[in-house]
Amino acid sequence: MELEELKNIWKNKGPGFQPKDEAEIALMLKGTSQSIVTKLKRSTWFELIFTVVVGIALLVYAMTLPAGAIKWLFVSLLVMLVAYSFYYVKKLILLNQFSSAHENIRANLEKLVDNLTSYLKFYKRSYTILYPLYFILGLLFAGIERGADDFFQNLIRPKTIISLVTLAIFFYFSSTFMANWYLKKLYGNHLEKLKGLLSDLSE
Amino acid sequence: MAIGEEKNFINLINEHQGLIHKVCIMYENDQDARNDLFQEIVLQLWKSFPSFRGEAKITTWMYRIALNTAISGFRKQTRKVKTEDLQELHFNIRDYGNDDQEENFQKLQWAIRQLSEIERAMIMMALEEVPYEEIAETIGITQNNVRVRMNRIREKLRNLMRP
Repeated sequence: MELEELKNIWKNKGPGFQPKDEAEIALMLKGTSQSIVTKLKRSTWFELIFTVVVGIALLVYAMTLPAGAIKWLFVSLLVMLVAYSFYYVKKLILLNQFSSAHENIRANLEKLVDNLTSYLKFYKRSYTILYPLYFILGLLFAGIERGADDFFQNLIRPKTIISLVTLAIFFYFSSTFMANWYLKKLYGNHLEKLKGLLSDLSE
Repeated sequence: MAIGEEKNFINLINEHQGLIHKVCIMYENDQDARNDLFQEIVLQLWKSFPSFRGEAKITTWMYRIALNTAISGFRKQTRKVKTEDLQELHFNIRDYGNDDQEENFQKLQWAIRQLSEIERAMIMMALEEVPYEEIAETIGITQNNVRVRMNRIREKLRNLMRP
């Protein structure tokens, strides 16, 4: 079948549709976008606001604590939240610059894949590196709080070691599993689809 | 944006809405999803309207944004396929069974929907007489690549539409 034959079929009967009137189009302009970039922006804004609110609450609470391990644990959490805030601001700047208007389909796909990959990587890193790190920090601060001798005496007991290792394994695997499941559900499947389209274009 | 600009934009969409409808029909199955995609395309066009300076043809600009939105920018809502939509589809195919023109068109529409999303974009533009140069520009591949892919698409459609 030649292209001209297909064009004839297409033109003789264009796809039927119910035309929108001007009032409907005007109303659409007031709607909320469901695009992937807008959704990423919304998530980033939510996380930034959440980080700032939690940071302020932690700061206020840490001020009321006496000097000691718990206070330092809260202060180290605050340092991490400040670092996160910078990341979110940088992400928002990048997302605001993102526009599909000037890009062809291939370039747009490449940008989206890059954006989503770095977004998902960031979260996976947060869960797989920061959680164990905070587990160790928690132990360290507990050691400082109880005094090194008392802490190490407790730590070398087989019962304590088994409990801590079990807790660490459970904590690590459950948080990683939950994070992976949530991220895949949120953006992972869409990312796979975009990568498939890109490889289709590269063939 | 100014009211005058909004009015111009609405007129523009009104005039070229067929193009958006066709993209929606080719990329979504049910009417609700098509309406959502239509609105998303209109919003994306509105967002980039101030940066459109008329360097490209208006339809090229519209195709670029509409296809980008349909293919990669729009995350579909998970929804169950309504029974009415399936019934409507079967009804349409049966109803026009005796009308050759309509039957050929239904067949072509069905065959196009079996293609990959990128192939669908290419054949749609080709059927709308968009030159290969513009198709290449919109997709981001070379004109030679467009020619090769169009041959493959034609072959696929021929097989799919074979009685």
